[in-house]
Amino acid sequence: MDANRLSQGQLVAAVAAIALFIISFLPWFGVSGAVTVGGTTIGGSTNFSLWEAENPLDIYLLIVILVALVPALMALLGDGATAPMAPFATTLLAGVGTLLILYQVFDTPGDADRKIGLFLGLLACAGIAVGGYLSMQEDAGGERY
Amino acid sequence: MTGRLSQGQIIAALGAAVLLVAMFLPWIGVSGPSIPAGIPVPSGVSTSTTENIWKGSTLDIYLLITAVVALLPALLALTDAAEEFSFVSAATFLLGVVAIILVAAFLTVDFPDGADRKYGAFIGLAAAIVVAIGGFRAMQEEVAGEI
Repeated sequence: MDANRLSQGQLVAAVAAIALFIISFLPWFGVSGAVTVGGTTIGGSTNFSLWEAENPLDIYLLIVILVALVPALMALLGDGATAPMAPFATTLLAGVGTLLILYQVFDTPGDADRKIGLFLGLLACAGIAVGGYLSMQEDAGGERY
Repeated sequence: MTGRLSQGQIIAALGAAVLLVAMFLPWIGVSGPSIPAGIPVPSGVSTSTTENIWKGSTLDIYLLITAVVALLPALLALTDAAEEFSFVSAATFLLGVVAIILVAAFLTVDFPDGADRKYGAFIGLAAAIVVAIGGFRAMQEEVAGEI
């Protein structure tokens, strides 16, 4: 495998997709509470990764990751196969994914706390969208790095 | 107005309109414990409740975006706008296919425990399929230059 076969946009999208996959296992939401029993207060909190939260966002972002990684893998394997719609699909789906994560930042499920994964996931998904957009421009200009 | 729209765009727009309506229909039903026979139930009191898709998840926002994108060509035709976006058919197809996957996942693996699937969810799934088919057909028509 030769990484030079990847365009700059494909590389950005693929790296951001791998980052998003790793980030999906970090805490995205948290719930905390406390009860007082007999004058003693007992508190506790628990965190949820993207996969543990009951939300279709996990399946959607998995689709985004796959759409971003497949063109890079095809270019790396170099079997001559191409996916002409891939840069557009990556840009569109990652752009919508960024909007969906942004929506979760402002409206967390069940008024849960926002955790680090939510913000890193937002950045990574935006990174995939930027990579897809760069790929679209490179395809239009015929530039390969 | 519809003369400016391709067959695929009309199909996608109809699917999007049905999808928007379906989003306000019951998707999730929750039944409480049944009341033993003989116990009087005051009028207006029910042991079951239903919810539409607007309460609870990001699926609502995603389906709204899908419907708006599918409706875009029809909305532009309504306003006699001169703009034509070549990417809309491909976007409609892509968003429609992902909507099918998300609604199907919601109905199977992501559905709340102990709740019932209501007809709104199935109408929503059917509408998402129609949107995807319309988008695909519009793409084909654009390629063939039949518009």
